[in-house]
Amino acid sequence: MNSVEGLVTQIQGLSSTASDVLMLQNFEACTAGPITKEQASSYLLIIARFLSSCVSEQIRLASHKFIFVCKRFKNQLVLLGEPLPGVALMLTAIRKFRSSTEHLTALHPEFLLLCLLAKSYKTGHSILEEDIFEVDQPNDLFLYCYYGGMICIGQKHFQKALELLHNVVTAPMFAVNAIAVEAYKKYILVSLILHGQFSTSLPKYSSSAAQRNLRSLCQDNNLGLVKQVVSSLYKQNIKRLTQTYLTLSLQDIANTVQLSSVREAEMHVLQMIQDGEIYAAINQKDGMVRFLEDPEQYKTIEMIERIDSSIQRLMIPSKKITLMDELMSCDPLYLSKGSRERQKFDFDDYDSVPQRFNV
Amino acid sequence: MDFSVLNEALASKSFNKIADICDNLMLQVAAEGVPFRDEWPFAIHLLGHIYIDDINSARFLWKSIPPAIKESQPEVVAAWKIGQKLWTRDYAGVYEAIRGFDWTQQTQVLVAAFSELYTKRMFELLQSAYSTISIQDAAQFLGMSEEDASNYVLGQGWTVNPTSRMITVTKQAIVKEQKLDPGKLQRLTEYVFHLEH
Repeated sequence: MNSVEGLVTQIQGLSSTASDVLMLQNFEACTAGPITKEQASSYLLIIARFLSSCVSEQIRLASHKFIFVCKRFKNQLVLLGEPLPGVALMLTAIRKFRSSTEHLTALHPEFLLLCLLAKSYKTGHSILEEDIFEVDQPNDLFLYCYYGGMICIGQKHFQKALELLHNVVTAPMFAVNAIAVEAYKKYILVSLILHGQFSTSLPKYSSSAAQRNLRSLCQDNNLGLVKQVVSSLYKQNIKRLTQTYLTLSLQDIANTVQLSSVREAEMHVLQMIQDGEIYAAINQKDGMVRFLEDPEQYKTIEMIERIDSSIQRLMIPSKKITLMDELMSCDPLYLSKGSRERQKFDFDDYDSVPQRFNV
Repeated sequence: MDFSVLNEALASKSFNKIADICDNLMLQVAAEGVPFRDEWPFAIHLLGHIYIDDINSARFLWKSIPPAIKESQPEVVAAWKIGQKLWTRDYAGVYEAIRGFDWTQQTQVLVAAFSELYTKRMFELLQSAYSTISIQDAAQFLGMSEEDASNYVLGQGWTVNPTSRMITVTKQAIVKEQKLDPGKLQRLTEYVFHLEH
């Protein structure tokens, strides 16, 4: 019996009050083989109907099956070359499955991948704006941050891309894997675009495997990003000029930044003003540019609102971290390791020579 | 496909909502598994993104359009040309792209609204970026003849020197009303107090 047709018959045979768990078992059993283009719309219709009618509590009871069915759904769409239908459906699945907006599920990276393939960057970005505090599997976070970084790069939100890629590169890992290498390449390029520089050493809290191996593994395959780095070099050079000069002629700018003409220099400066990257006034009559101070006085109502809302937003994770800290300090594993370390340094109470106690 | 929400937005000139409406509708329709691309209003969708200055999304949408549609629907190509000029910052080229096509009735409304908005945006850019600028360049940025450009900026309070063909920009001081909410100040004071103790 052909798998999708069989599925359709079985679903139609079930009563409308059949539990979602039962439905999931049917899905799992009947969607083993690849789906053809002709079967695609009936397959999508069944999944869509299921996702819109399923009950959160029920699918959470059969969480492994639900994730399995959704992942297979994504794989089928990718094989068909039609990722777009999956975007809205996977988003529905996430919204029903997760226990809160702070919960990262195994479906999040699948959703982001579909968004990347379907070029629905804006939709993908909307889920990145939600803060994550609870993760099911560390691997989910890994992929989520990697795909999320790529979506932010597409939207030119380089700061957020850097943060997400940073998470991938500094995540705990025993051996360097392909995702980490790719993430590192993009991390360097985004860092160059954003800051005009990057640090060749990873932060102390990255895994030792990453620190040893990532640097040597990078060869190029990110042409789009590399082009953006090249164009950002001009910007970085112009920005540096604003820190040294009050006024400068367009000719001098062209010479210093190595642009081919005065006109090109003018256009670069104009574009940076348009993007809010510098504050300046071009005087075409004299061929000069006057660099200005940031006109923000920080005393407007809008600024007060921004500071207030930023502080409020920061208080939430701060409270959570305090809570996590309290919970961890009661954790027996942590305490036993901590006390072992502490014994080494108790020399204040006893001798000047530190004693090592075996616990 | 139910385009009533989109048509309403076009009729009521809520052009800044068109991008979101089209995005959401496309996701919904795609999720139903129906082939929709042949009937999809890609030109309007592209222009919706262009109108709110979201050239990134316009670019991605253009990339996702099948080549067959690009070949058979010149209006879609023309709409993208505007986006392309914006992407490459070919300020004068945008006007050429706007005027270089005979738009259908429905699209014409959106294009005209964008053209007006773009001229305004360009004027504000000139105001913030230039202290003096040649009439020739200003005309290119504003998509007008040199005479029309001169009259336009004169009407906005700038000065024109006809001999040197130079315009001097006068920046208007924007006075925004500052109504103070004592509750906010109270909260900020509390934060500072908390941080210092």
